[in-house]
Amino acid sequence: MDIDRFLRDPLSRRRFFHMSGVSVAGGSAMFLAACGDDTKTAATGPDESDDADVEILNSALDLELMAVAAYKAGAGQLKGSVLKVGKLFLEQEQEHADGLATAIKDAGGRPNRAKKSYDFPELKSQTDVLKFAVDLENTAIAAYIDALPKLGKGDLRATAAAIVSNEAEHVAVLLGALGEEQVPEAFVVGRAA
Amino acid sequence: MAPHGRIRIADGPADTAQIAEFERDRRDLLRRGLGLGGAVIAASSIPLLLSVRNAFAASSEDGEILGSAIHLEQVAVLAYGAAIGSGLLSAGFEKVARRFRDHEQEHADALTTALADLGGTPPAKATAKDIDAVVKGLGDVKSQKGVANFAIELEMAAVAAYYDAHRKLVDAKLLQTGASIMANEAQHLVVLRQAVKRDPVPNAFETGEA
Repeated sequence: MDIDRFLRDPLSRRRFFHMSGVSVAGGSAMFLAACGDDTKTAATGPDESDDADVEILNSALDLELMAVAAYKAGAGQLKGSVLKVGKLFLEQEQEHADGLATAIKDAGGRPNRAKKSYDFPELKSQTDVLKFAVDLENTAIAAYIDALPKLGKGDLRATAAAIVSNEAEHVAVLLGALGEEQVPEAFVVGRAA
Repeated sequence: MAPHGRIRIADGPADTAQIAEFERDRRDLLRRGLGLGGAVIAASSIPLLLSVRNAFAASSEDGEILGSAIHLEQVAVLAYGAAIGSGLLSAGFEKVARRFRDHEQEHADALTTALADLGGTPPAKATAKDIDAVVKGLGDVKSQKGVANFAIELEMAAVAAYYDAHRKLVDAKLLQTGASIMANEAQHLVVLRQAVKRDPVPNAFETGEA
């Protein structure tokens, strides 16, 4: 996927998040189990379809795997405390990916795998990496918020909100490292383009 | 479990330890699903943060959840307002507090509009007394660091409440608005944690738990 086009073209992003093709065989998604949170029965939501949840979760997984690859690709330009932040965020994106993969399996689906390579823009400096990371995080936020109401299970919706909040925290830290306002808006909606 | 008379959030590592202990107790209670009943909670005098979160989660209708959320946002507006007027803040931190207070007001306004759209009636306006019912100890805070630590507890209570609400909310637009507000509270947490030199993003899943 051409990441530049993906980041700038909302239609492309929408297609990305709506694409299908994963075969599933029932089962119940207990995403929270993957996240270390003991709990409760899934709430009845607007749509109880595991198939639909798997499709959405796999699209989210694609984004998380891309984020992991992006932080790896950018790490070489980062120094000192910013490098430390980059490594932490890489680990957290991997935790999201692992949680999503477990939830997909629990729902009877097959988790997508990382691509062999991603078409990232050239990152020549720490500032380039930070700005690109902000774009990626904002794209993920917009995608999760778009997808959240489509998730059938209450526990999955809660976990998606917890991931959105973590990505939003990443944005605040990254903006701070760029010397910009860390919390620019009262409503975090990400950026589709 | 050793009950706490109250949670005081002021300066210093002792307070941080006390908060950590409180968090352990709170998590323990939640883990047991509050199944031991209100008597245990009442006897322990655990801060009413628990009951606020529980009311949020127990709401079966979107309108009820909205009412609880509006109340929580109003409390946050009042708490930041009290902090701004406390004389404890540097000019820089006061600017941050004003910004965050304005955000909380924007949340309250948007949620009030959403509730009206559902035909609901907004809850009675929160008062300063309601702050203690969410997180105790603002009146005992003596420094900017204490204000920041208090605000962290308050924002975490809000994040936890929205997190729980996502299991119950049905309306698609409300789910999205709730997530965008929860994410904003999480961003507040980053700035506040950095202000007191805590890890700004301690968990990959921000659920409002320590």
